[in-house]
Amino acid sequence: MEVSHSIRERTIAENSLVILLQGLQGEVTTVDLRDESTARGRVVNVDAFMNVRLEEVLYRDRRGRLSQLADLFITARNVRYVHIPDHVDIMETIQTQLTRIRRVRNFAGEKRGRKEYLKKKN
Amino acid sequence: MVLLRSVPRPSEGVRHEQGETTAVLDGKGLGAGTLYVAETRLSWFDGSGMGFSLEYPTISLHAISRDLSAYPQEHLYVMVNAKLNDEMQENAHDEEDEDKSSEEDACEGITEIRFVPSDKAALESMFSAMCECQALHPDPDDEDSNGDFDGDEYDVEEAEHGQGDIPSFCTYEEGVSGLRAEGQATLQRLEGMLAQSVANTFHMAGVRTDETNGEFDDGMEVDAGSTVAGQFEDADVDH
Repeated sequence: MEVSHSIRERTIAENSLVILLQGLQGEVTTVDLRDESTARGRVVNVDAFMNVRLEEVLYRDRRGRLSQLADLFITARNVRYVHIPDHVDIMETIQTQLTRIRRVRNFAGEKRGRKEYLKKKN
Repeated sequence: MVLLRSVPRPSEGVRHEQGETTAVLDGKGLGAGTLYVAETRLSWFDGSGMGFSLEYPTISLHAISRDLSAYPQEHLYVMVNAKLNDEMQENAHDEEDEDKSSEEDACEGITEIRFVPSDKAALESMFSAMCECQALHPDPDDEDSNGDFDGDEYDVEEAEHGQGDIPSFCTYEEGVSGLRAEGQATLQRLEGMLAQSVANTFHMAGVRTDETNGEFDDGMEVDAGSTVAGQFEDADVDH
């Protein structure tokens, strides 16, 4: 599960609840759009601006017509709700995401950086 | 009624170009043409140069549709939060256009566009290119966003000298609420590491430090009062 490569995005995420949505990567959930259509699929990515990308989506438009979409990108402005699956522990998800962001900043790992940092847990 | 206009071919920032792509606008086929996914706008035009362009902020969503029961060909679906009128300006819905739209569409200014490439394998690239370009245009009206991070890149130099108007991400002195003890310790370690690393060979999560875009002005480099403040002056970062 990747953390954004953009410093700006990581900073935004670290200071916002969008970090919770980012932690939903890989989960199947429903997104309610502003126009009252809904999209249910697997979260591929949520960026710091809250644009949501889903795959294998069942899309129900505002008239109730169903269609399948292989990949769907919803502009943040059009997201009304993102359903958090019942099995997701919200606090834990947020903590995990924060840890991932901070780990990225710790340049250690791979073959670079001082070894002493390899063991450092953020 | 949609009238096409002469669309200039985008000259820069084109993330994806797809020829042999038919455009279907609100159910009306416009024939074959070329789709340009550029950073500033999305445009399509046919062989005679007539077409239309879309601004990313008006795009509600885009998707790859492989559901042949919904539409007989695989395509890139784009929903635009606006009506394209005669002048191909994206305006709010005009009552007079209702005769062609469904009754639901008449209540909102919505345009549905399908880009049908002859090369279906290109759909993923087209989709990805649009995702990237869409991300370049975050909603400026979003009051809930961390407004301080929009627009201007973080000014490291200003922050280092301690007087800048810094967004909520804290400097060393202030905003300790954003950094707990371990955060501060991390900051110090990183500064030490940066001082010793060779800037142009250093990698972080795939981001190369020799890139001169402002994005690499990492908030953690901010340290107005640190004893090691002077050591970044020779760093290969574009201020």
